[in-house]
Amino acid sequence: MELKRQQQPFLIQVWDLFLIELTNWRWTWLYNVVVGTLTPLLSMFAFSIFARDSGPEALQFIWSGNVIIALMFGLQSRLTSHFVYLRLEGMLNYFATLPIKKSALILAIIAAFFLIALPSTLATIFVGAWILGLTISPSPMLLLVVPLCAIPMAGIGALIGSRARNYNDAGATDLIVTFVMLAIGPVLVPPDIIPNFMLFLGRFSPATYAASALRAALNGVITPAFWLDLGMLALISAIIIGIVSRTIDWREA
Amino acid sequence: MPNPIFELQNLGKQYPKTETWALKNVDLTIQQGEIFGLLGENGAGKSTLVKQIVGLLKPTTGTVLFQGENISTNPMKVSLNVGYMPQKATSLNHMKVSEAIYYTAHLRGLTRRDARKEVERLLSLWQIENLKDKNNTKLSGGQQRLVRLAVAMAGRLPVLILDEPTNDLDPMRRKLAWDNLRELNQQDGTTIIFITHDALEAEKIIQRVGIMRDGGLIAVGNPKELKKAVDQSLRLDLFFEAGKPPAVPDRLEPVVDQEGHRRYMVDWDEIPQIMAQLNLDEIDDLRLNSASLEDLYLHYTVEPKTAAGEGSQHGA
Repeated sequence: MELKRQQQPFLIQVWDLFLIELTNWRWTWLYNVVVGTLTPLLSMFAFSIFARDSGPEALQFIWSGNVIIALMFGLQSRLTSHFVYLRLEGMLNYFATLPIKKSALILAIIAAFFLIALPSTLATIFVGAWILGLTISPSPMLLLVVPLCAIPMAGIGALIGSRARNYNDAGATDLIVTFVMLAIGPVLVPPDIIPNFMLFLGRFSPATYAASALRAALNGVITPAFWLDLGMLALISAIIIGIVSRTIDWREA
Repeated sequence: MPNPIFELQNLGKQYPKTETWALKNVDLTIQQGEIFGLLGENGAGKSTLVKQIVGLLKPTTGTVLFQGENISTNPMKVSLNVGYMPQKATSLNHMKVSEAIYYTAHLRGLTRRDARKEVERLLSLWQIENLKDKNNTKLSGGQQRLVRLAVAMAGRLPVLILDEPTNDLDPMRRKLAWDNLRELNQQDGTTIIFITHDALEAEKIIQRVGIMRDGGLIAVGNPKELKKAVDQSLRLDLFFEAGKPPAVPDRLEPVVDQEGHRRYMVDWDEIPQIMAQLNLDEIDDLRLNSASLEDLYLHYTVEPKTAAGEGSQHGA
């Protein structure tokens, strides 16, 4: 007897897997409130004390940089630990034995964790602007910019989590990558106080383009540089997701 | 007429950066609709074998055919037809029990309506209705095992592969597990392949057994025939007050000699004489059994390797 069974269509797979992954809010919500929201807000508050007289440009960088921190802590770090969890706790084996596409799983995980991290990101954007006394006039492009800023961070988290040997290695690597990305480009501080070699290295970091695109979209200043930032973010996203898809091999060697 | 569902040909596995082979030269055919048990000591290669069958582990040598197709080239065919329960009762993200069964059934091809019915059916089958809204991470080891059994069965797949299905279960739940698996096989014709250390209980449902040792499949066959080939003696277990063993015929030597318990291997024709000589006041209890699957398991895994009947051949 030939056994015939139907695989669910790709989008149905993504939707089911998205809902499965969304259940992670049950453990991440507290972390997201404390680390994903309070940390960048406290950081902004601290920076605002001594940077208030440094001019509006410095405040803009503090603000956009901390939105990136919110994305890094709320999304990248969460995905790092989630991918380690998937591998080490056997959850990836569970998915691997289901009739689903690996790409559907990766898409679903990123989308679910993005949604989970979204409230803390938005809180950082709007409460942060209020703390720093910034007046913002968001462009509708913000709806495109926030996901495009998030995807590379999510991809980096997934990449670290899919390669790290254990939770400790993953956490340490994630922290190092976070601080390197914050330091090497004009993310938290304006470019004129960053050494040239770091500015050069910053060109390879998605955080640089994300912070720049966020500042433009939130101030409603859409210039050619903004489109370049978006293009770079899209390119980096595609590269990282491609690497993640190849890296996660659910048939062990 | 034989209808092979899995054909393993010269299957071997050497994990990266290791010298030894976890699995070597395994040839085995599993027929559709049979209940096949894998026995063997820890590290014998049983889990490696089933992980290769479900496509979670790449073979170093050989191939696995599912319904005649190589699973390396068509892994989706296995995913669509085989439910797998791993040895480790892994947590299923932070899903509730009902969510885990529902999504698994739906992703395996059931409609949403049928997937909802499947949740009710499996919760009832495994008597875990009370866990319906519990988060998987909050369950005990035994409860997680039952949930994983339900998840493995979700979608009514024609093949079920279970790695130690009764681990962590209390005696009542173990009985429930074996009863459910037997019924599943009889009613739906589901092919069931499982690993167990619970040889005595598994014997109730096993139709064919494979015994593994040091990465090799050293015996395969019908348990009854294998047992005959290994040993036709009866096991006479005598339980008595410690330090006061009962008198038995001199020629009998205990093969197990523990405080308050001795086991003798006896032939059928010796029974009347032994019984006549036994002073029932000297014993608390006695049991007379033929060779069990456990004896078979011990014979092949603990005692020196001996070839026996069909068991000396790999495959069947």
